[in-house]
Formats: sequence, C-alpha cells, structure tokens
Amino acid sequence: MSHNSENPTFKSYNRDPGLYDEIFDENDNVRETYKTLFDLYSEHSAKDFGRLNDKAKASFFNQGITFQVYGDHEIKEKIFPFDLFPRIIDAEEWEVIEKGVLQRSIALNAFLWDLYHDKNIIKEGIVPLDLISSSVNYLDQMNGFDPPGGIYNHISGTDLIKHSDGRYYVLEDNIRCPSGVSYVVCNRTALKRALFGVFNHYQAYTVTNYAENLLEMLQSVKPKGVDIPNCVVITPGIYNSAYYEHSYLAKAMGVELVEGRDLFVENDFVYMKTINGPVKVDVIYRRIDDQFIDPLEFKPDSSLGVPGLMASYKKGNVCLVNAPGTGVADDKAIYTYMPQIIKYYLEEEPILNNVPTYHCSRPDELKYVLENVANLVIKPVDEAGGYGISIGNRLSPEEIEEVKKTIQESPRKYIAQPIMSLSVHPTYIEDSECFEPRHVDLRTFTLLGSDKNFVLKGGLTRVALKKGNLIVNSSQGGGSKDTWVLKKNQ
Amino acid sequence: MLARVANNLFWMGRYIERSEHIARYLNVNYFASLDAPNELSQSRQFVLQSMLFMADDFIRTEDSLEEEEVLYDIALNSEKTYSIINYVKLARENANSARDLISTELYESINKFYHFVLNYPVDNFKKRGLYDFTVQVAENVSILRGKIRGTLLHDEVYAIIMLGVNIERATQIIRIINAKFKDAVIAQGSYGDTLKNSYEWTTLLKCAESYDMMRRFYRQTPTSLTTLEFLILNTDCPRSVINSLNQVCKHIMVLSQDKHPKKNSSAFLIGKVRAKYQFKIIEEIESDLETFIQNILDDLNSIGLKLQNEYFHY
Amino acid sequence: MNLEYNITYAAKNTYENEASGALWQFLIIPETNETQELISDDFSNSLQIPVEHSINGYNFKTYRIRPGQSFEIIEFTANFKVVKKIKNIFEQVSQLYSKEEYNQLRSIDFRAENDVFLRFTDLTSLPGKVDFKFDENISLFDNLQNLNAWIKKEFTFKTNVTDIDTDLSHILEIKQGVCQDFTHLFIAIAKKYGIPSRYVSGYLHQGNGYFGDSQMHAWVECCLPESGWIGFDPTNNLIAAENHIKVAHGKDYNDCPPIKGIVFSSGKNETEYNVKVLAQQQQ
Repeated sequence: MSHNSENPTFKSYNRDPGLYDEIFDENDNVRETYKTLFDLYSEHSAKDFGRLNDKAKASFFNQGITFQVYGDHEIKEKIFPFDLFPRIIDAEEWEVIEKGVLQRSIALNAFLWDLYHDKNIIKEGIVPLDLISSSVNYLDQMNGFDPPGGIYNHISGTDLIKHSDGRYYVLEDNIRCPSGVSYVVCNRTALKRALFGVFNHYQAYTVTNYAENLLEMLQSVKPKGVDIPNCVVITPGIYNSAYYEHSYLAKAMGVELVEGRDLFVENDFVYMKTINGPVKVDVIYRRIDDQFIDPLEFKPDSSLGVPGLMASYKKGNVCLVNAPGTGVADDKAIYTYMPQIIKYYLEEEPILNNVPTYHCSRPDELKYVLENVANLVIKPVDEAGGYGISIGNRLSPEEIEEVKKTIQESPRKYIAQPIMSLSVHPTYIEDSECFEPRHVDLRTFTLLGSDKNFVLKGGLTRVALKKGNLIVNSSQGGGSKDTWVLKKNQ
Repeated sequence: MLARVANNLFWMGRYIERSEHIARYLNVNYFASLDAPNELSQSRQFVLQSMLFMADDFIRTEDSLEEEEVLYDIALNSEKTYSIINYVKLARENANSARDLISTELYESINKFYHFVLNYPVDNFKKRGLYDFTVQVAENVSILRGKIRGTLLHDEVYAIIMLGVNIERATQIIRIINAKFKDAVIAQGSYGDTLKNSYEWTTLLKCAESYDMMRRFYRQTPTSLTTLEFLILNTDCPRSVINSLNQVCKHIMVLSQDKHPKKNSSAFLIGKVRAKYQFKIIEEIESDLETFIQNILDDLNSIGLKLQNEYFHY
Repeated sequence: MNLEYNITYAAKNTYENEASGALWQFLIIPETNETQELISDDFSNSLQIPVEHSINGYNFKTYRIRPGQSFEIIEFTANFKVVKKIKNIFEQVSQLYSKEEYNQLRSIDFRAENDVFLRFTDLTSLPGKVDFKFDENISLFDNLQNLNAWIKKEFTFKTNVTDIDTDLSHILEIKQGVCQDFTHLFIAIAKKYGIPSRYVSGYLHQGNGYFGDSQMHAWVECCLPESGWIGFDPTNNLIAAENHIKVAHGKDYNDCPPIKGIVFSSGKNETEYNVKVLAQQQQ
C-alpha cells in the first residue's frame, strides 16, 4: 500500500495489515486526530525533513543531551535519536491511560506497604510467598518501617504498548529509578523549535510542569518537624548514563545535585558540604540503586552512597525517594499478579490490560513455554534495559534449543509472554529520507505525594529505529518522539 | 553551593583560561619566529624549546626537538597532561559536574568547544592547522568569557568561576613572562640584541594580546622595563597581574561576608598579596626578575590552596 | 533472683599506613528485652572522638565514631552493666508433641510472618545432605535439642581453622570450627526443616567453663509456633539463658558483626579485641 499520491515523504510507507498503525486506519485513511498534522507535513519536502532532522540532531549533541554506551573498550557518547513525527493521544484515550497508570501506582504502593508490614496478600494466598522470599530486592531493613507519608513508589514509570487489537497493554511498571522524563521535555522543545507551525493547530498539554510537580511531591514527604525541606537529587556522577537527566531535574527544580561524597551523616542527620559549611538535607531524590546507598548497611565497598544514610532514614530524619526496597514489586514475576493486586487493595477492576504471562517457575507453565518458545518472548525476571530478552520468532532452531536450556537451568529467573505486536508510527528514516512505520511504546510518569498525585500529561514514546525491531530501549538503538496529549473539545 | 561543585567551577574557569594562553603562546611564538630579526630567534629549536618550556612546567631539554611532535603534544595529544585538548576535556568535565548551576547557553558553548577540539583532524593540524586551530581556541574562549559574563547570575557561582579565571590569568601571564625572559636571555648578544631591547619583548606582549595597547600607552618600542611594567603593574591593562589580583579581590568579597576578614581566611590572604604588589616599582622587579617570578607564583599558589581549604573542602 | 553483669569490650585497630579518616559502627550494646536490662553503658576511645548513638538496619543500638584526624592506632573501650533475670526456659516451651504445632509451622500465616528468617543466605545454605534427621514424632523443641546435642557431639571447637567467610561445606568437611560456624550450621539445618532461625550475637558468661574464647559469642534463636523465640547455643549444647547476654540478631553473621568500618587508608590493618564478662549475684 502506498501513500505516494498524498505525500512524497510517505512514498515508501508500507502499512502492514497485521499491525496497528497509529495514523492510518485499515482502509489507509488518515485517522481523524492526525489529519491536520498529516496535511501540514505534506507541505514540507523530503529535503526539508532531512534538514530539520540534521538540525535537531546537532542541537541535542551540542547541548550535551546524550547518554553513554558502554562498549567492550570505550565509552561512547550518543544522542538519543529524536523523531520529527509526534505521537498524538486524544483526550478520551488519555483519560483511560491516566486513570489506569495512577491506579497501578497506588495499588503497587499498597502492595509494598503490605509486604513490609502484615503481608496479608500472601497470607490470603493471592500472591505466593516464594515470589517474595526468593526476591533479592526485598530489603529486610524495611520490614515494619513506615516511610514518610506512607509512600514507597513516589515516582513510577509505566511502560505501555498498543497491540494489534488497538488496545493498550502494560508491559512493565518501573518503580525503582525510572528514567526518561528529561527526554520528554527535550523532545517537546526540539519539536517546537523545528516545526513550531504545527503547534498552533493542536491544543496539547504542556510537559514542562513535571519538575514543579516533582518538587512539590518531594516537599510533601518531608520529615516531621521540618518547615521548608531542603531537597536534593543524588546522582552516581557524571559518568552515569542518565547524568544528563539528573542534572536537568536538579536544575529545573532549583535544588542541589549531589554525589555521595557531598553528603555525610552526623547524629543520624544528613548534611551536605557547602562552601559555607554543612547544610541539613531533608529529602533525597536518589538515582542510586538500593545496594549502593549506604555502605554500612549494603555493599560495603560502594563509594556512591552515604555511610549511615539508612539509619537516618529509619529514624525519620530524612526521606528517601523512592523508598529503598521498592524493587521487590517491579519484578517481572510480580507484574503478572497485577490484576489480582489491584483488585485486592483497591477493590476495583484493573483499568489497563496486563499481557498474559507464563511463569517458568510453575511446572505446567514451564512445559508450555518450552514447547512454544518460537511463539513467545522470553524475559529474565530481574534485568532492566532490554538485556537478555529473546524473541521466539527471531530465533534459529539452534538458538531455540539454547534458550530452552537456559530456562531449564533456572526456571525462576524467566517469564514468557506472547509476542505482542507493538503498534507502528511514521518515523523519519535517514537512509531512505522518508517516513516509514516503526514500532513504538509509551512510558508514562506518575508521582505519588502524601497529599496529591500527578500523572504527566505526555510521556516518552520510544521508537525502535531498526525495521521490524520490537525493542525500543535507548541502549538498544531506540529513539523517541514528542508525545502530545490533547485537551478536550478539539 | 556544594563545596565540590564550587571546586569544579573554580577549575572550569582555570582550565578555560589556561587553554587560551597556551594556544596563543603557540600561535604568536611560532609565527613571530618565522621572520624574526635574528637567526637564533628564527631557529626552530629555539622556538620549540620555548613552547615546551612554557607549556610543560619550565623544563628545557638538550635533545633536538621534532616540530610536528612538539606541536601535536602541546595541542592535541591527550596523553600529555599539559596539552590543550586535555585542558579542554577537564574544563568540560568540571562543567559537567556543575551542570545544574551554570546556564544552558554556557554549557552548550563549552560542549561545542570540547567537540571542536576533540574532533580536530590531527593530520591537518600537523601539516597546516596550527594557525587555524589556535585562533579558534582563542575565539572559543572569548565566547565562553562572554557567556560566563552574560548568561550567569553574578552571584557566588560567577564569583567562583572568576576567581579561577583571574588566578589562572595572573599565573599564565607570569609563566609567559618567565618563558620569554629566558628566551631573551638566551637571545641577547646575537645581532646586537641587548636584553633591554630584545625582540622577544614584542613577542611577549603579543603573547599576552597586549601589544597594541602597550604601544598606545607608551608610544615607544617595548623595552624590558616598559613591557614588564605594562604586564605586571598597569591597572588598566586587562591582562596585567595587578588587574587580575584586583579582580580576585573583588570576587572574593562575594563569598566572604566578613567586613574584617579573619587572619587565616582567603579574603585576608588575597588582600595581603594584592597590597604587596600594588606598590611595587618596576625597577625593583626588573633588577631580580627571577626571584620576583618565583615569589608571585608562590603567592598565587598559596591563594589557590587557601581557597581550596576554606571553600572547596569536601 | 537476678544476675548482674559487668561487661568490658576492648578493641585496638592498628594501621600500617596512617589513615586519614574513618567511620566505625559498633554493634556491641546489650539490648534490653524480657530477660535482660541494660543499666548503664559507657564507650570511650583513645583519640577522644565524640561518640554518636545510632541504630543498624534492624533497629539495634550502635555506637558510631568518625575521626577527622589522621591516626595509626586507635583503641576503644566499652563498659556495660546488665541485669539478667533467671528464668526457667522449660516453663516457656511446649515439650509435648502435638500435630497442631507442625500444622502451624507449615501454615502460610506463620511462614509469611517469619519469612525473613526462613531465607537461606550464603552462610546458611547447606551444600548437601547432613547426617542429622528430624523426627516428626517428637516436638519441635526436642528436635532442636537433639540438633544442639548432635553438633556438640560431631564437631570440635577449634579456633583459627575457619574465618568469617567460611561456608558450611568446609565446616562439614573438617568437623571443626567456632561458635559462628556452629551457629550457621544450626540455622541452616533448622531452616531446612522450616523452622525460622536467626543468628544472635552477644556475650557469654564463661564462669562455668563454656566455650566462647573471651570474644563475642554467637548462638541461635528459633521461632516455635507455640513458644516464640527460643535460644540454642550449639557450641556448648545449651539453651541460651541467664549466661547469654544478647546484643543483636540477624540472618547470619553479616547482619551483626560487632564492628563495621570504612577507613581511608592503604595497606594492612589489624584489629584485636577482647571481652570480659563478670557476674555478681543480686540479692
């Protein structure tokens, strides 16, 4: 199928009828939401897009909005490729997403509280005990502790996809240190600069209010007795792949960006070393993993954290965001219990769908998985960043045998899901100098405060730039798109 | 402000400033030597020795130097600690650590500067790029100075960067004087050059980008006395040591709230050092330049250490 | 009747190269619980560094010291006064066999409640089978008594053959070790049978010739559905009672080493410490 007649930059846009296309319907007509945008883009030539694309790339590079890729020998600085065709989500569709991701975040928070207190969901047999007791991310130190404001997962990143049935499915919940929100803002800025003309025709929500909401949330979980809390962002340092984001968030909130060595603990209070001497710190948005935050309590050789931090936290003198120990609930095996978890704590039906999942830890499901590797995606339970994923229909018979062997060695480590066909979206491809369909997902950002919740109206639409590729992570060569959430009554 | 980040800002300022002085030294000396009035000043070995002496901690070797190698080492060899590329890398690394405190505009310019130096074609540089490269380094640093002044809040952040810039500027001017003084000593006697009227004084002024202004001020050919007076004691010369010290004095007052600084504070030491040089006379300096150079380098160094201990300790 | 104890803990750290700073955390303070009460505590060091009072991750009290100056040697001394109640443990436990006890042990409620102390850690994992067998026809308590006796019988107390990282396979092979090793072994076997077990660090009054080597002692606490936490000392084949003064517990040794530190120094360092426990009967 070709759209050549309408738009030369779509000359090689071949719609795959087996996939959900975000802008063309099954009759190859442009969907209502995208009509204006499509017409506006038709006024530009392929050359224009090439030039805009180069400019956008240069702008990201010069601003140092980059991440590091760790190769065998060297660290490379790369930009997170930005695509010129924005993702549009209309008001109705968004309403469901927003309610759905908030529901999940709230349910996960209740789940965490329960796991670190009475464990009722386990006692009632809804979530198996094995899942918790075999999780390396469960922190004994958090047992029986009440985090300030009762919040564990202050910040959640929920990954969604649209399947060929046109419905959204949640792929995973990230509640340790979800990243990517800085790119949401950068993408918006870049698109506005490149194609400001198109913005006047749509009423999209702003995304720059994330930082102010984040700050408000951090302030809301201040320790008792503190009037105006001193909030900081703690980063592993300039060589961390998400350092740009850490510095962006600190700057946008107007708070200090600290490293472990900038902080110390005295009499269970946390201080930062400033040019005018020690200044007390009340709330820490930490972008360091649990195991590294306090060498006295966790990995003793970690120099990223602050010795004594955990004791200050447990004494209620400082708040850590997200709380330590949240990792136990964003485990991919826990994910599969999300519908039950939501029902148990909220007495509501889940608003967003879960992808059906097979646990290799269960003998009959393991059997099914081993027999059907070719039709499944096999995922390690505890890896992030798209590492270790095998997609069944891309594997050779030898590779399938290899995967089967790996699973059998440690079944608890793997889950399997049907191969979800991520929806496709027109994406500018440098080699062919025109738009082609590529797979996309969506990461949303949710904040839980002690008195207010917030879902960023927008998100990070990640796109797999390689043809047919389903893995959209930046470390695997993915790019991203500006994402517009439309206001009502358009 | 975090002590560590203050340290980063201070060194960012120093490395930016340093890279420019070295670039200019390469440029001016190399091109001045091509048509220098005496044979020694024209000699490749003479000028290469001078460059290495200035860039790499005052060491002169007896070995015969390879032009391409020396130029490459000082400009683009990242394995040499004294290379421009290394200083630019360090400037950017320090800027990275203070990224949340400086303006996007300043960061972007530093980042562009870094990529320019990093991607400068080495072969091209060795064969014909010296002029282009050094001029562009100087231009980039000018842009950075503008961004520092024009896009940052003139608060503590600015004061700390400017402390770094000015301490480094005074240090580099002294280093350049030291290097050119050595050159002049070596060159004296050849073709009637005396130390007082050496051609090297003109080069020295050009190295400090102060030749035109000096001519305007004295209306005569530079001699050792007038050159040194201009570069050390002239309060209106933007590159002079005393001007830098005055700037340092001004900026430390932003950090130090005390009206009467304590005896062991940086503010006190800076005031004391400034006072020491404020009323120096040039004949006295010229009579024993070597001791003067050693003393002032020590003074600048102890200011740096004092700042380190008082403000940047983490 | 009560016993009053005076406990002295002394340690000396020596550094080959001068250390430029450090942070130490001491987990040596006797806790106050049902059977013991901490009357007074005092902690000092040779560098006169102020002492901070904090807690560890499991809420046990700690001392913290952060010298800012350089040093090569530092000495620490602690004195504690503790009153210990003399109590007949056998009144607390159910020695009679009941099927119900086993049912409770296996119930999801009990397991979920005590999940942390049912997990195997590196130090409390059995490499293979051991010769000790549980007998489901006698009470849990009796089984644990048997386990206590079995370890005492099969293993020999010997210092310097193991260290804090020695895993159980080695101990099972050489049949020797110290209190930590026997404690880990006990925990591993008890957990294997589903009995929540934890590592206890504390002081032992050695007036009666028990093994403890004038250092900190280690024993086990097991949670029984009807009796709660009961202490077993496999090193001496004893029920932990009035001679055992508890400091802290955790999953294994790694959760309760008496001293943890971060020292900015290169080269070797040495720690020596010793413990004295003196008892006095209270009227």
